[in-house]
Amino acid sequence: MSTEVWLFILVGAIAVVAAVMLLLSQNAVHAALFLIVNMGCIAFLFLLLNAPFLAMVQIAVYAGAIMVLFLFVIMLLGAERPGGRSPFGWLAPGAVVLALIFLVTVGVALSQGGISDLQAPPAHPQLRVAHYAADAGPLDVRLNGAGIAGGLTHGAVHEYETLPPGEYLLELVTADGSVLLAETLSLEPGQRSTALIQGTGTPTLNLVSDEAGAGGLRIFNAWSDPVSLVDFASELSDEDTIVLAGDVARGALTEPVAVADDADFSTWAIIDAASTDVLVRMTSGLPFDAAGGDSATLVVAPLRRFEGTLEATVGLLLTPTEAGFGSPADIGLKLFNQYMLPMQIVAVLLLVAMVGAIVLTHRPKVAPELERARLGRRRVSRPLTSVIASQLATDGDADDVDPAALPPAGAQER
Amino acid sequence: MLQTEAYVMLSMVLFVLGAMGVMLRRNAILVFMSVELMLNAANLALVAFARQWGNTDGHLFVFFVITVAAAEVAVGLALIVAIFRTRHNINIDELNQLQG
Repeated sequence: MSTEVWLFILVGAIAVVAAVMLLLSQNAVHAALFLIVNMGCIAFLFLLLNAPFLAMVQIAVYAGAIMVLFLFVIMLLGAERPGGRSPFGWLAPGAVVLALIFLVTVGVALSQGGISDLQAPPAHPQLRVAHYAADAGPLDVRLNGAGIAGGLTHGAVHEYETLPPGEYLLELVTADGSVLLAETLSLEPGQRSTALIQGTGTPTLNLVSDEAGAGGLRIFNAWSDPVSLVDFASELSDEDTIVLAGDVARGALTEPVAVADDADFSTWAIIDAASTDVLVRMTSGLPFDAAGGDSATLVVAPLRRFEGTLEATVGLLLTPTEAGFGSPADIGLKLFNQYMLPMQIVAVLLLVAMVGAIVLTHRPKVAPELERARLGRRRVSRPLTSVIASQLATDGDADDVDPAALPPAGAQER
Repeated sequence: MLQTEAYVMLSMVLFVLGAMGVMLRRNAILVFMSVELMLNAANLALVAFARQWGNTDGHLFVFFVITVAAAEVAVGLALIVAIFRTRHNINIDELNQLQG
């Protein structure tokens, strides 16, 4: 058995044992600690399931924040003391029977369901358009009559379009509305490709498939003669010249050329394969990050100068690297592209919960003046009569007092 | 790669243990912790199916479940504290004022 199976059995067993102990423990603090163990095990299983971001969230939010809140409340209420009676309610036998029935039902459903045979349908194909045709002006691109890009100029690369698989009629329309080129493309599921418009005069269209993750630099030659990609390691002698991709015929696409992580592109050049004349020199600022695992296609294409001569240019078609499955970048992209509204709603819910928790636990205080009046009345009410009575009885003017209105002697003692 | 069934089976066992905790225990805080255990088990199943389908939508759902659980815990524990303050007891068998 593989390591994954062993780890799954070990961690799964710990998780189940922790859950059972949570169910049986008398002391609430122990139960909380068992729940933390269980959550740690589930975070580990998330790691096994290629969900590193969720594993971190699980530990930080669940095992960190939520369980600390639980422990605080348990300590605050003194609820950790085991009660004298059984911790189980009267429902126990029924609950056990229900749980067993549920386990058997879902177990049968799982064993008959064939979950592992389910496969997701392949992703939809993606297509982008790159314009490297020397003599075509700004072009509009239409796919089955619907425009996907407008005013594409020389050297421009349009964004990827995600399309259902099938046959598509791609039309290039010039600024005056005439169709320059119409070609039928067949897009397969899961394919990602670039429609490369190139050539002098009436342009031609090449469908170049973009393989992400392959790494390296491929060369597509749209120039009229065969070219080579060379590295002039030293400017002084021709012996040091390293040929990275030699004699690339017109319209051909090479295999990826491995690029060293610290490659300095300033000594690289595209040369004519026959005459070894330098056609284009690269600059050190080529936006290609070999260390970052970029893969790209280098297009050598003609460009019509103002005075009518042709000149070779290079264009870099970067194939975007996809974020790893379940990585923070992957989750973040999806969260901010597709789940923006649910995220806002959940954020509002959290705010409401915070306010609700404060309101629920807030102990209302009586206003100070009311409180004082209440206390004052209670203190004064009974002694007041006795004070007046005693004053009337002792040092008041006896002629003004009706003896019958006075409390009988000894009332104060009673 | 381990089969998805194994993860779903484990998730189901944890869910049942959590459900039994909800039904059996008398202490309101322990009932609450069992609800958390059930949410965790559901999360595990979601992540397992996300891997099966090669689609991270399941991960997003787990993210939202964790967030909502945090909100729920805040309000629930506040309720338990408020009840304890008036009744000096959080045994759910004795919290029956709403009984007709």
